[in-house]
Parts: sequence; C-alpha cells; structure tokens
Amino acid sequence: MTAPRSGAGLGAHPGPAPAPDVEGPAAPAGPTGTADSRPARRPRRGLRGLRGLGDLHAYLFIAPSLFGVLAFLLLPVLIVLVLSFFDWELLSDPTFVGLDNYRRMAGDGGVWRSLLVTVGYVLLCIPLQTVLAMVLALLLNQRLAGVRFYRALYVVPWMATPIVLGLTWKWIFDPRDGVVNNVLALFGVTGPAWLSDPTWALPAIALVNVWQYAGYNMLFFLAGLQGIPRELYDAAAVDGAAPVQRFFRVTLPLLNPTMFFVLVTNLIGAFQVFDTVFVMTDGGPSHRTEVINFKIYGTAFREFDFGYASALSMLLFVVILAVTLVQVRFFAKRTTYDLS
Amino acid sequence: MTMTATKTATGALPGPPAGKKPRRRARRILLHAVLAAGAFVTVFPYLLVVLTAFKSRSQLNSTEPWLPGLPPTTANLTTLLASDFPRYLGNTLLMTVALTAGQLVFTTFAAYAFARLRFRGRDALFWLYLATLMVPGAVTVIPLFLIMRELELINTWWGLLLPHLLGTPYGIFLMRQFFRGLPAGIEEAARIDGAGPLTVLVRVLLPLCRPALGTLAIITVISSWNSFLWPLIITSGDDTKVITVALAGLRNGIGVDQNLIMAGGLIALLPMLLIFIFFQRYIVRSVVLTGLK
Repeated sequence: MTAPRSGAGLGAHPGPAPAPDVEGPAAPAGPTGTADSRPARRPRRGLRGLRGLGDLHAYLFIAPSLFGVLAFLLLPVLIVLVLSFFDWELLSDPTFVGLDNYRRMAGDGGVWRSLLVTVGYVLLCIPLQTVLAMVLALLLNQRLAGVRFYRALYVVPWMATPIVLGLTWKWIFDPRDGVVNNVLALFGVTGPAWLSDPTWALPAIALVNVWQYAGYNMLFFLAGLQGIPRELYDAAAVDGAAPVQRFFRVTLPLLNPTMFFVLVTNLIGAFQVFDTVFVMTDGGPSHRTEVINFKIYGTAFREFDFGYASALSMLLFVVILAVTLVQVRFFAKRTTYDLS
Repeated sequence: MTMTATKTATGALPGPPAGKKPRRRARRILLHAVLAAGAFVTVFPYLLVVLTAFKSRSQLNSTEPWLPGLPPTTANLTTLLASDFPRYLGNTLLMTVALTAGQLVFTTFAAYAFARLRFRGRDALFWLYLATLMVPGAVTVIPLFLIMRELELINTWWGLLLPHLLGTPYGIFLMRQFFRGLPAGIEEAARIDGAGPLTVLVRVLLPLCRPALGTLAIITVISSWNSFLWPLIITSGDDTKVITVALAGLRNGIGVDQNLIMAGGLIALLPMLLIFIFFQRYIVRSVVLTGLK
C-alpha cells in the first residue's frame, strides 16, 4: 500500500511510534511535519538534562485531575477495601472480621450465580452492541441528506432517564398488551412473558441496553472515523481494494485506539450493569437477572450488610481488572503503542 | 463554517465515479430506508413517552400506550411548568455548565500529559485512574458521602460538583486515546519555534482534536444532565435539587400518574436534544486535519 505515513500514530504500521516527548530534542522535520521525511524513531540525545522540566510540566497538567481522582475516587475505593475486612451494618460501629467476608463469599452460591448471570449478560450485550455501533457509524459517516438528523435520533435512547425508560419498556414487553408480543402475533408467534420469563428476562434486559448504548458508542466510532486521513482511502482505492477489504485493512486497524476505548469502557459498564435491572425486573424472575452489581446493591442497601457488599465490590473489581488486562494484551499486539 | 465542516466530513468515503448514477441512486434510497426503519425502532419507546405525556388520567387507562389520547391535553406539561420544575431545570443547567466546563479543561490537560508527554510514574498513574472505574459506584458512594460530610459539603453546590469537576478518568481515557491517535511528531514544528507544552496543546493539538472534543462535550453535558445517584445522595434542599431527583420524587409522590412522569421525562429530554444538535457540528473532521497531507 502506498499510503502516506501521516497515519502512523494510529497504529496501522508496524514499528515503534512512541508518543513524542515534548521536551526532547527536535528531530529534523518538514515545516508541516510530513511523516515521510521523518525518521522512524527520533534521537533521544539530551533527554536526561531536560527530563526534570518535562516531568514538572506533565505533573502540572495532571495535578487538578489527580487531586480529584485521589480525594473523590481512590480514597472511597480504599475505604471500601478496608471495609471489606469488617462487619458493618451502617448504623453500628464496624468490627474487624479479617477474611471472614471473603470466606463467606467462596461458599455463597448466590454470588457465583450472580457472576454467571453477569457473564451471560455481557455475552448477550457487548458483541451485538459493538457491531451495531460500528455499522451505524459507517452508515452515518457518509455524505447523505439528513445525516445529522439520523445521528441525533440514534443517540436519543442514551439520553433516557432510567425511570422513564423502565416504565416504557415494561409496557413494550408486557405479555398481553405489549408491542413486542402484538407484533409477534401478526406473524402467528406467541411471544413469551419476557420480563417474567426465566429464559427471556435476561435477553430482554440485554436488548434494552443494546438499544440504549448502540447509538452512544456510534459517537466514538464516528469521531474515530473522522480522524482517519482520507488519503489512506484514496491510496487503498488506487490499489484496487474492495469496500470490504478497505474496511478490514484500513478502517478497522486505524480505529484500534477507538475500539480499545469502546471495548474497555463498555465491558466495565456491562459488568456493572444495574439501572435496567433495577427498573425492569428487580433481579427476578427467580434471580435470573440478578447481576452481580444488583446483588451488591441489595446486600448494601436492603440487607445493610455493608462489609460483605464491600468484599463483593472487590470481587467485581478483580474480575473487571482481569477482563481489562486481557484486552490490553490483545490490543498491544495490534497497535504500535499500548497501554503500558 | 458548519457547512464546510460537514462537507469535508462526509467526504470521508470516496464516492463512486460518475456514470453509475442510477445504481448510486438506488443504493441511496435503500440506505435511507434502512436508516429510517432503524431510527423508528430506536425512537419508538420515546414515542410512547411523548404520547403519554399528552394524555389525561382517564385516557391513560383507556387507550393503548402506542395510540394517542384524543383530544391531547397539555395539562401535564402545564402542571409541571407551574410547579418548581423550572427551578430544578435551572439547577440542572447550572450543574451541567459547571461540570462540562471543568471536564473540558482539566480532562484535556490530563489526557494530553498521559498521551503525549513522558514523565515518571505516567503509566502507573494512568492505571490508577482506570482502576477507579472498575469499582462499582453503588458502594463507593457511601465513603464518598462520609468524606463530604467531613468536609462539611453536604447539601452544597461544591459537594454536588467537586467529584466530577476536575476531570473524570472516563473522559481522560477517551481524550488520551484520541491524542495518541494523532500522527507522531506533529508537535515538532511548533517546538522548533520554541513553543512550550501548553502552546503546543492549544495551538497544535486541540485544533486537530475537534471531533474528540465535540464528543467529550456531548457526553459530559448529557451524563451531567442525567446524573442521578450522587445528586440524590448529596443534596436535599430545593436550592440544589436537579431534574432527575425531582422526577424520581414524582414517582414516589402519592396520586401521581405515569403521564405526569412521562411529561417530566419529555421536558428533561428536549434541552438535551437541542444541546446534542448544537454540539454535533463538532464531531466532524476538522478542516485542519484534512490539510495535513
């Protein structure tokens, strides 16, 4: 492919393209920074002498957010970690119980059932949602009358307030009067009771989440697509690449940073799904939609067993961390830069 | 300005050569049909919201959710607008503006440092940021409340805003990915001219990041507008009550019907739609990036 190298930072090309160090020595480059005239790796002479100053700048840039993260995000997490070793019923004083909460967790069948339900939900939701978001982004990244109108419509579900959303979807999934079963009846199919059906409740929840977040994730892919230099498509077209080839050889590799963000954040979100379950099924029928975060919520705010809820939170944290690390490794092989 | 930006943006895929006009037209019609059908399914639940918002109590029980109540009534909307609802809308607007301004500034700074500067502890710190996303908020909200109580910020604007004002890991992650997506070494020309990191960020990188900044602005505006759990917990008075909390209060109110809740949902949605349409112009390829051949 004769594509210009200006997209090198996006990860399409092999070879190291580390994020440039602003304080490092300037490499010879054309006035427009044309990648073709740039060496693959800039010399690192004199880096050490300027490093202190570079550090200072960087720390100043992250200082406000670091304060916020430490005080309002990390500190609460650490408190939860500490509380996971305590027995605390919110109103009484916490008592130290060592690893009791974790031991109890290991023998708690309800916890493992919740984890399984969560994994099932993730598998139902994430692939469909991601593919749908990508297809929408590709369709809506064209020159087309009313394209902005369509984009706005597809993002509307994400603007839904959970309370409003819960009511409408209950109507839609109503076994007798609901839209879904009435439409199915037109085709001679008798629909299930959806939200109170042990088999169909979880898929219904997943479907609502796909509905809510496909358009939202389209936004990221759209922004990512906009960042792909057009010349790359021209070059691919000159090389005779078919549209499907163009997508898999040019678009998808160049969207790796976006894809990484979308998958990591959506998996984190999916493992923590709560709102939809809360407003639609309340964990039922017979625990079939009791995802782990709903279980944690119930433990904390219905059973007031805050120590155990903290330990469950740590379990969920470890699961999500593991899933994220797998993705980091997967994407590290496919991009010229990685998370490390 | 908007027009030119849109044109450059939508030219991302090279169109078929001239002479294939009929095929192109058929493809166009098919595309519109698919998009319109998908949009209908997507918006359908909101159609129910709109229909219900204009129903009276008796119509609510006598008509199907997907049929309009005839004649439509604006009583629900006027009831809400005559109550304290507009005030809560004002509070929500104030919160949204503050959080969006803070997020855009501080998130951009931090993401720039994480993506394009090198400093000791960078990756460890970034992992720390990411890790905070992985602990469910339902539980961390209690310690956060206790921290705010120590700071005597309960039921204050600062208590409401501070946790999300200084840039969120989510937004920083998003912007970092986009900053890293920019071609390596585009800062160099500016650096030769003696520009510092701040100048490089503002003059060189930000103009190239318009789509990402537009996306960040949209998601911040709408997630702030919709934020529920934290406002519910940290505020109690009318001075800081936001719309989501007011809506939840409606559901718990005695004798309040679904049509009133739906009317509230509709009132809450409309400003978001307008804001989205306004910011949408920024999620298109910037003119500058196109010129970077």
